[in-house]
Amino acid sequence: MRIVIVGAGAVGSYLAEKLSYEGQDVVVIESDPERAAVAQSEIDCLVINGNGASAETLKSAGLDDADLLIAVSSSDAVNVLACAAGTKLQIPRKVARVEDPQLKAEVEALGVDLVIDPGEAAARELLQLARSGDIAERIDFANGELVLLGAYVDSRAPFVGRSLADLRDTVVGWDWLVVAVIRHGETIIARGGTTMEAGDHVLMMAKKESTEEAYRWLGLSSRPAETAIVIGGTRVARLTAQLLASKGIRTTIIDSDMDRCRVMARELPEVLTVCGDATDIRLMRSEGVATTDTVMALTGWDSENVLAALVAKSLGAGEVIARFTNTDLIGLLSGIGLDATVSSRLSAANEILRFVRRGVIHSVVTFSDSDAEAIELEVGPGSGAIGRTLADLKLPHSLIIGGIQRGAEAFVPRGTTTIEVGDHIIAIALPEAIGAAEKLSG
Amino acid sequence: MSLRHLLHVVGAVLGAIGVAMLTPAIVTIIYGEWSDLPGLLGAAALTTIIGFALWRGFDRPGELSPREGFAAVGLAWIAISIFGTLPYLLTGAIDNPTDAFFESAAGFTTTGASIIPDPGTLSHGIAFWRSFTQWIGGMGIIVLSIAVLPLLGMGAVQLARAEAPGPMPDRLTPRFSETAKRLWLVYVVLTLAQVLILWVGDMSLFESVVHSFTTLSTGGFSTNAGSIGAYSAYTQWVVIVFMLLGGTSFALHYRFVRRDRKAYLKSPGLRVYLGIAIAAAAMIAIANRGVSGTADSIREAMFTSVTILTGTGFTTSDFAQWIPALQVMIVGLMFIGGMAGSTSGAIKADRIQILYEASRVDVRRLIHPRGVFVTRVGREPLPDLVVEAVQTFFLLYMFAFMTGTFLFAIFGSIAEPNVGIVTTVSAVASAIGNVGPGLGDVGPAGNYLAIPWAGKYILASLMIVGRLEILPIVILFNREVWRR
Repeated sequence: MRIVIVGAGAVGSYLAEKLSYEGQDVVVIESDPERAAVAQSEIDCLVINGNGASAETLKSAGLDDADLLIAVSSSDAVNVLACAAGTKLQIPRKVARVEDPQLKAEVEALGVDLVIDPGEAAARELLQLARSGDIAERIDFANGELVLLGAYVDSRAPFVGRSLADLRDTVVGWDWLVVAVIRHGETIIARGGTTMEAGDHVLMMAKKESTEEAYRWLGLSSRPAETAIVIGGTRVARLTAQLLASKGIRTTIIDSDMDRCRVMARELPEVLTVCGDATDIRLMRSEGVATTDTVMALTGWDSENVLAALVAKSLGAGEVIARFTNTDLIGLLSGIGLDATVSSRLSAANEILRFVRRGVIHSVVTFSDSDAEAIELEVGPGSGAIGRTLADLKLPHSLIIGGIQRGAEAFVPRGTTTIEVGDHIIAIALPEAIGAAEKLSG
Repeated sequence: MSLRHLLHVVGAVLGAIGVAMLTPAIVTIIYGEWSDLPGLLGAAALTTIIGFALWRGFDRPGELSPREGFAAVGLAWIAISIFGTLPYLLTGAIDNPTDAFFESAAGFTTTGASIIPDPGTLSHGIAFWRSFTQWIGGMGIIVLSIAVLPLLGMGAVQLARAEAPGPMPDRLTPRFSETAKRLWLVYVVLTLAQVLILWVGDMSLFESVVHSFTTLSTGGFSTNAGSIGAYSAYTQWVVIVFMLLGGTSFALHYRFVRRDRKAYLKSPGLRVYLGIAIAAAAMIAIANRGVSGTADSIREAMFTSVTILTGTGFTTSDFAQWIPALQVMIVGLMFIGGMAGSTSGAIKADRIQILYEASRVDVRRLIHPRGVFVTRVGREPLPDLVVEAVQTFFLLYMFAFMTGTFLFAIFGSIAEPNVGIVTTVSAVASAIGNVGPGLGDVGPAGNYLAIPWAGKYILASLMIVGRLEILPIVILFNREVWRR
């Protein structure tokens, strides 16, 4: 598939890397020469330095035959124009990043298949986190029948240092499967011999009915947040605060810039705006950080976010979440005390990847600190896996099947589970195994 | 600021009022009351000529500064209150200038306080003029001038801002003269509607016209000593509804008619205004239960609540005889008033709401010392300047009320017999709120005739101060403004 990506910013270059890794034919158009050069040197794709909004640029690059246009530059105007040019060149599918909520509906009316706003995508993800207690992620599969839970292992947890095979015998009564462990930025697809260590980011699959048990086992509270503090005056912070407040969560937003605070106070009627430094301990105490369920540090600086989140944690906040721009850091810093992380470019990229792979693959989830993906795919009639058990399949070590949906039923499979035609498989795979995963669908 | 500029504006307004004086002359001719005709024509001629002379004699000011606009409006309203006495004096309907000035001011400011014991004895022409002054004053003489006569030129917007009641001017169209026209159109259409609906009931055409004039303007002059109480329950309900309409923002009426069917639902000011009216009516109905039948007591409660809140001043029952708690509540209602942009007086429901919201913000600031807050009404944030202006207005209003009460009390104490405290406080609150009746001697059963002459001037001045929302009068007495 030929894919044109307009804009080599955070979202664009991440997508280019992901898609080219999967063997897609990716062309990136970037107007800034320096950025174009960086992208060219780091990503295995063709980078054209030019204005992506112009049909001429697209045509001269020989892109009339592209199958997909992804316009994710930082400018709404460029993205909308690029999509208009794409329509003119009869590119069948188009994705645009548009931040202005007013423009969104109008852009959809122009024939753009997916309109995405990274800030909003991140805000939605944060809301989901706030609503699902202390966990790092919670992703629904199979119409919500199966959940993938992510959490950081506390050093006091009873299972620290024990292998999964060992735990399999002691933790019984409900279906669970640890699918992956992310340790110091490295993703280990779980096997029986894998042990759990303090600070690990654990991904675990469970049935919807057993989420309570899973939470308890992981030592987490499942109580949805009732109070939240959002740190920072960025767009993501504002969108998140607004979303949280609109869902009935008492939200305070803290920023150190008075002018920005005034704007926020005007724009966010349901949110309490406080002007001050989020690392000012006295201020944080007086704003009730100790009794706050979730603290989200969403400024534009990773270092500030980490510091503010850790300060909040040590002052007694429930769950602390930090936003990262440099996603390479996330895995490296696992275990320092953050309960979850978020990155607006990953949130946006997730949504776009899900759209791009629509077809055999039903949904795709990427993780902030791991290059593994969780994908949901359907077993077609031509698949060689039909009628074989998971143990027989001899799946690569970088791939694990975490869940199966069969008709209305969904379950966590065992080695003895047999694959049937029409099954929806939820596979967690490292990039090199994605091809193998896709082969399961036939 | 030069007096010459202001006099040009005053002249234009006087000219308009002079022309308006011809309408009672026509009424006089229709009813064949020939003895009043020379007086009315004389008043019209004198006012028009003086107005025209001022308008032509002083050059057009070009663009008026805000302060000049405010001062001009203040001066113009004093002038029309003075010249408005001419029809009374020249026809002999009222024989002394003090009483005539009181009646004239109570007319234009839509207060509706009267020194005439039985308005039934007035000729048709004078009765019409009394009501007509309220009708003109309700929507505003300046707004009328802008809508009808292009006399005021470019300064018109500044003038209208000074005259239109409320904290923020509501623009319906890009050009203010067009907005003024539309507001007057709504006003005229509502008036015609009320005339027809009243005429169907037990009022004659003449009664329907004059009462419609004084209902929509929330004025309150009647042609009967018994006010609206002299008419049927049907008429009373019609008047209740139209008083409520008069106390509602006319821009809101216009929006509703033109395109926005949800205009009323979306207005937080309307909610506060109606909420207060209904709550007060409920309290009256509960306190007075058992006195008359249920239907009657509900109607009387609603009528009294609405007439006082909107500052109309019609009466159906003698609330000066009610229990003290209700009398205190009635004085309280006098301070609130209808909506901004309506014809009603006093502080206005919208401002009350802003004051409440601003005080809530101050309380929250105490809890979160580093919090950043914005005062908002509904979901709409208010600029800090508007909030501060409203707080200042409230302060000035209360200051004017207290100063007025004290001055009135001094002259009331000299007089023989003394004017009582209840009469004093309620008369001043009623005058500055443009309500009309008070309590005690000036209650629904009484009138203002027996008030000492100095007291009448104090009340008449307070009516103008209240109608123009204080600032246009205050600015006339500011030395700094006159220096250059």
